[in-house]
Amino acid sequence: MIRGVAGAAIYFRTMAVFAAVWWLIAAWTGNAALLPSPLLVAKAIGELALDLELFKHAGISLARMLASLALAILLAVPLGILMGRVRIADDLLDPVVEILRPISGIAWIPLALFMFGIGNALPVFIMTYAAFFPIVLGTISGVRGVDRRLVNAARTMGVSHRAIVTTVVMPAAAPALLVAIRLGAASAWTAVVAAELIGAPSGLGYAIEWYRELLMTPQVMAFIAMVGVLGFLFDAALRSLSRRFTPWAPATA
Amino acid sequence: MDALIAPKLKLDRVGKRFALKPGEAVAAVEDFSLDVRQGEFLVIVGPSGCGKTTVLNLLAGLELPTSGSLSIDTHPITGPGADRGVMFQDYALFPWRTVVGNIEYGLVYGPAGRNLSAAQRQARVRHYVDLVGLRGSEQKYPHQLSGGMRQRVALARLMANEPEVLLMDEPLAALDAQTRLILQDELLRIWGQDRPAHERRTVVFITHAIDEAVFLADRVAVMTSHPGKLKALLDVPLPRPRSDRTRGDSQFQALAQHIWSLIRDEAYRATVA
Amino acid sequence: MNSAAESRIARAVAVPVILIGVWYAWTTLHPTPRTPTPGRVAAAAVDMIASGDLPLGVLQSVGRVFGGFALAAAIAIPLGLAMGTRRAIERNVDPLVESFRPIAAIAILPLAILWLGTGTAAAVTIVAYAAFFPIVINTVAGVKRVDSTLLRAAATMGVDRLTILRTVIVPGALPSIGVGLRIALGVAWTAIIAAELAVGAKAGGGGSGGVGQMMFVFYAYSIELNRIVVCMIAVGLVALLLDRMLRALNAWLMPWTH
Repeated sequence: MIRGVAGAAIYFRTMAVFAAVWWLIAAWTGNAALLPSPLLVAKAIGELALDLELFKHAGISLARMLASLALAILLAVPLGILMGRVRIADDLLDPVVEILRPISGIAWIPLALFMFGIGNALPVFIMTYAAFFPIVLGTISGVRGVDRRLVNAARTMGVSHRAIVTTVVMPAAAPALLVAIRLGAASAWTAVVAAELIGAPSGLGYAIEWYRELLMTPQVMAFIAMVGVLGFLFDAALRSLSRRFTPWAPATA
Repeated sequence: MDALIAPKLKLDRVGKRFALKPGEAVAAVEDFSLDVRQGEFLVIVGPSGCGKTTVLNLLAGLELPTSGSLSIDTHPITGPGADRGVMFQDYALFPWRTVVGNIEYGLVYGPAGRNLSAAQRQARVRHYVDLVGLRGSEQKYPHQLSGGMRQRVALARLMANEPEVLLMDEPLAALDAQTRLILQDELLRIWGQDRPAHERRTVVFITHAIDEAVFLADRVAVMTSHPGKLKALLDVPLPRPRSDRTRGDSQFQALAQHIWSLIRDEAYRATVA
Repeated sequence: MNSAAESRIARAVAVPVILIGVWYAWTTLHPTPRTPTPGRVAAAAVDMIASGDLPLGVLQSVGRVFGGFALAAAIAIPLGLAMGTRRAIERNVDPLVESFRPIAAIAILPLAILWLGTGTAAAVTIVAYAAFFPIVINTVAGVKRVDSTLLRAAATMGVDRLTILRTVIVPGALPSIGVGLRIALGVAWTAIIAAELAVGAKAGGGGSGGVGQMMFVFYAYSIELNRIVVCMIAVGLVALLLDRMLRALNAWLMPWTH
């Protein structure tokens, strides 16, 4: 993304052009339920923000996202370190990972509906599952990518095995790990809408579907926009956290 | 007699400044004047960062001078063109094309092959494949070749376009010492060192290796750095064809020593300072 | 087969076999009518394949994926090439791309249904939307990663700009484009399953077809957990197959990458 004041100006200019074209098409079709004008959508956003409904659902989705990500990290990172460093663990566990990975989190929804029913557990389960695989694979790759020579250097200084893991392997793998967590978060955020659309009584996905059934399209678009905004902010937050904790790592898009 | 014949390449008070920050500029090359004669092998030598590559890029037309002018056959140089072929330091071979694919590229897509039929083009490519000694490797990809072989492909590609001027930017730098010596011999053979000057192509060759410069060159241009200027222009009167024996020659050694003495202080400062 | 290869295979199948064994043992010890067991799942699989339901559903879903994927590639690759070569285009288009990227295809689905109905048109559009982003992003990255020395080499041979685009930039960016296509196909497959599932859930099980919709029908209407599991396995296998296919395609298109 382009930075700076000039970048922001171009950003707004492009979005303004986009909004103008949208407005023209909306005016031409003239059907507010089919394609509401940007002004109607802006009004809907304002209303939903004022009565806090926008933030209520956003907050719920975000809370589920945080819970899922935390859970996924707790499961995937230690496992990834284990599989990355211990050959036998990888030989044994990798087949399971590779069999489950192609079955996307969303494919689990029907089964998960049986296991959990509609509620909070279902989206969290789906999102944790979705985030798990990018994180575990990225961790394995990051741990394996640690320069052998760094580990050897520490060994020749007589550093204990455990200390090597915490003081050499983890920091060296940290940039890759953080990228993996960002990818996992993106994966989970993609799954949130699907999971909530079908299997939750609240959240952004639920709200989108609720208003679609009522044919209140400005509100549908308002919540879709919220999905985009939150997704972007979450990723930006993770990126800035990455820079804070691993300032030596090269910036990745 | 040389003064009556127009030089092949003329650099006239050439200067190139680069802006680092607003208001702050560094002169890579300053007040550089040089005439390159038709058919001569001119080597530019100097310490790292002295602007040799910049001079080459200016001759190639990949960059434009901030002052002064460059011309070929009295025509000003305003951009790159097939009349001045370039061999880059890392060979710049297209990884997705085979050896033959690389060599024929300029003939297929550039003006050099415009008047050639497909059969003539293939014959020319085959000729240069043989000339550089790559028969049998025509269908290989660059990643399957050794450094020395890649250099030959780059050379064949350069020559297949039959440019009037060959510009070579440290082409042997990436090779190990033994391969370098062999390829120096090869380079002179391929260039046609035993032919008269008007039958040979003009070469401007950049290197930081002094013995390489003396071995290959008709004349050596010694550059200094910060800013890049022409310090000295020396004749190399060693007879052609040159070979391994030339390298042991006392005149060879003396010339090399002399050039080193011209550069040494600069090189020392660049390394330590 | 030597013992090293044997032990490698043994370790590869050990955990899955143990898990299936545990699954089998548990369901045998605690039998309930609904719970899927390895036996019932296998039987359901045979039935669904023999009746043609599963192959038909897979074909429908895969067909939509290919349609949407082709559409996305047809737009994203030229756009990516344009953005990668011309700064001005990138600067002006990038805000739109980056703004919509965090919005998953499934969030757009309600709009797509609103505009295009619950049939294949909406499904293909969703898939195209999902596949678009990895392709365009990787194409731009690929173009930028082309070694500038290669571009200069072509210039010094007198080749014109358009020919350089065609003969240097496109082949040079191809490895990155290939990666983008592979990622996009995976994303597209996930998107179609999600779309079919969601449409199945909201349109009352009719109209959309495909594996995702089958899964939902088995959940909501006939409550056949075994069949759901069969569908899930099918989803996984097709995902693997598509990925392998695209890897093979990439290897064939780019024989110079080792």
